[in-house]
Amino acid sequence: MNTLAKLLVIAAGLTLSATSMAQSEAPDDAEELKLAALEALITAPPERALPLVNKVLAGDSSIDVKERALFILSQIEAPEAQATLLRFAREEEGELQAEAIRMLGIGGDKEALATLGEIYQAGDHEVRDAILEAYLIAGDKQAVFEIAANADNEDDFEEAVDMLGAMGARDELRELRSRAGMSDNLINAYAISGDLDTLRELALDDSNIELQAQAIEAMGIVGGDQVNTTLVEIYQGATSDEIREAALDGLLISGHDAGVLELYRASENSAEKKELLERLVMMGSDDVWTIIDSALE
Amino acid sequence: MDKKLDKLIAAHEADIHAAPAHVVQQWHSAIDEAAALERGRVPAPAPRWHPTSFFWGMAVTAALAIGIGIGFFVTDGNGPPAGSQGPMVASTTPQSEIVPAAFTRGLQVHLRDSRQQIASLDQGADRTTLVLQLIEQNRMFETAADQNNAPKLARVLRAFEPILLQLAATDIAPEDAEALRAQLAFELNVMLTKLASESSDDSQTT
Repeated sequence: MNTLAKLLVIAAGLTLSATSMAQSEAPDDAEELKLAALEALITAPPERALPLVNKVLAGDSSIDVKERALFILSQIEAPEAQATLLRFAREEEGELQAEAIRMLGIGGDKEALATLGEIYQAGDHEVRDAILEAYLIAGDKQAVFEIAANADNEDDFEEAVDMLGAMGARDELRELRSRAGMSDNLINAYAISGDLDTLRELALDDSNIELQAQAIEAMGIVGGDQVNTTLVEIYQGATSDEIREAALDGLLISGHDAGVLELYRASENSAEKKELLERLVMMGSDDVWTIIDSALE
Repeated sequence: MDKKLDKLIAAHEADIHAAPAHVVQQWHSAIDEAAALERGRVPAPAPRWHPTSFFWGMAVTAALAIGIGIGFFVTDGNGPPAGSQGPMVASTTPQSEIVPAAFTRGLQVHLRDSRQQIASLDQGADRTTLVLQLIEQNRMFETAADQNNAPKLARVLRAFEPILLQLAATDIAPEDAEALRAQLAFELNVMLTKLASESSDDSQTT
């Protein structure tokens, strides 16, 4: 079938589905036909596909169908497609706006991504979330960093920091530390991005014991032999219960039951042994039954 | 069980691109097979795998993507780790000639497998585990797309992940899960049609 013939079938599908609806046919069938027609548009040349997609977007199709049309638009290499997506991101509300924003993330156009920064400022919580997700899709760490650095409230800052963690944006997170000071979310983001160097530095800094304890615990998220060894050392050298507890939590998170077992065997304090045994049970350690057996003797 | 799965989901959300050691080993085995095939020294194995097979889909596509010289290893995204000696089978072959077609074929297998897996998802714990496996595979192809100079494809693959993560949630309502599945099915179909169409155009022009 040549392109023109295909387009005629697609256009008929998009039109007939509306007619079918009017004739009280099952709405699902009509919608299915419309979706199939939209899907087929991906093979059409942009100049042919665009008017049909725009017709769907301007018509009274369901939100689902319009969302699918936006996806088709994201795959069309034409400035008009990008312009329509931007218009929807700016002017629509709710699901369609969020979907248009997601599509701009997929498109990855630098100007469009910069425009999302403006929409972010005026947007509500859902819009801001959608924009952060679009930046994640586009891999635009700098844009998320700017949001975090310029955030005027804690929620926005934390969500941007969380996103930077998910993006593995270690440099940007380190930069935020010097700009915005330390926070719980920042420490978690270091862990999620796998920035062990920064976490270790924080874990050895006793100027703020709460943050120090959190950094020690977060090291467990990164995990690995190096972390396990460090956590055991921190536990052994701890001068406060809080730090000792954080190291133990870190070992629990990293699943290093061999380290906890080593600490259990080295301990001569029954209260400490009891706590370590409880952790070993929680960790499902294979050696726990041997220990219980000997503890009961 | 739910707590375990929630932890698993949280771990996936936190994880960037780290793959388990056994998966890396599987990739390396796949690379070795691809290396042998590329050199034509051994015949291609009989197609004993089913198209829906996760493992073979992953292994074959990884072999195609990696074995032809993209130098993709599970690292922090900054290239191969120092001292690594993974097979770089066809690194002398210009990428522009071979990599896109091979990568595209591999990606098509991945998208088809994903579509079939998503279509047959049930409610419950198995669904969550299966979706998390899909996410794992999807991340691998996303990285491979970046390595193959296919950033647009990488972005589309990356856009699937938030939807998959929602689908993996244990407390999702059945109607919400169905809506997400429908969305993914549509987007996967569109990408498959697009890739097939582009491959067809390429073959007609050569």
